[in-house]
Amino acid sequence: MLKAIKRFFGERPSGQEAKKRMQFVLMHDRLDLTPDMMEALKNDILTVLSRYMEIDTNSIKVDFEQGKEYTALVSNVQVKRVLRRPECTR
Amino acid sequence: MAGRTIVVTSGKGGVGKTTTVANIGTALAKKKHSVVLIDGDIGLRNLDVVMGLENRIVYNLVDIIEGRCRKEQAMIRDRKLGNLCIIPAAQTRDKDSVQPEQMKRLCEELAEEFDYVFIDCPAGIEQGFKNAVAGAQLAIVVTTPEVSAIRDADRVIGLLEASMLRDVHLIVNRLNDRMVKKGDMMSTEDIVALLAIPLLGIVPESEDVVVSTNRGVPLVHDRSSRAGAAFQGIAARLNGEDVPVHNGRELGFRDFFRKLFTGQ
Repeated sequence: MLKAIKRFFGERPSGQEAKKRMQFVLMHDRLDLTPDMMEALKNDILTVLSRYMEIDTNSIKVDFEQGKEYTALVSNVQVKRVLRRPECTR
Repeated sequence: MAGRTIVVTSGKGGVGKTTTVANIGTALAKKKHSVVLIDGDIGLRNLDVVMGLENRIVYNLVDIIEGRCRKEQAMIRDRKLGNLCIIPAAQTRDKDSVQPEQMKRLCEELAEEFDYVFIDCPAGIEQGFKNAVAGAQLAIVVTTPEVSAIRDADRVIGLLEASMLRDVHLIVNRLNDRMVKKGDMMSTEDIVALLAIPLLGIVPESEDVVVSTNRGVPLVHDRSSRAGAAFQGIAARLNGEDVPVHNGRELGFRDFFRKLFTGQ
């Protein structure tokens, strides 16, 4: 009965709550990249960025940020100079 | 033709790995396949008691690996089925007494003689897990619909894929239909969506499991048990038979009576 009242006032069934929490937890667990993969990711980001601008390759930082409802990849790179004509054709 | 080597694993302990190995193995043996079940949990053996064979142990897995006996001497034949046997784990040794390479070689040798070689993997992801997985071609991950079991299952799936074992299937154990209907348990669909591996079967939560382990007689011998029927369905699917996975229930009590009276 108490449960029915709680549901009426908008409490999610616990199964749904478990599912939501697990989606979040598993994503975070899986993001636990190995140092090698992290390095590869950094290099790939650098390669793409350097098509558009000259960057300080030593300054790159890649982190995962945990929000309440999302996981974000946050990367900081120092830009030295923006290329006038990007080497990207697309 | 060489047999198939299958590891049953979960990450978390107590989700039903040993029960699963005992029941699928017995179900396949009942279908006339030759089956050997290896208890990979060195130091904490249990497959022997679940199978009701604890009184017959003389030699064990470590004795075979260290050459103190021939592998035939360590195999214990099932009480009912002549084509089913187990290799018990050593109880007084630790997991480091076996190396993955040795386990792999043993599995290969056994696969020459048997249609199915099952390895009951210990909980955890350390040495015992690595040994158990080393010789397997296919992995079955067992989980229950609880957050801790699912999280550990996901870790294990990641490790299996990293160790080049790509053929990984899921069993959802102890599913409670009533709680799923009320919304108080994750459904099989939810779990499959989270773990993203193919579903091999669903085993309903059942008191029969406790009774069967109390007696040391696998559930698949009990023709009226829903959980037993679920394990039979899983065995059939593993064997390549086209048996559909029902939504949370396999052959049930009512189906059993219908079968009894109508013969279909």
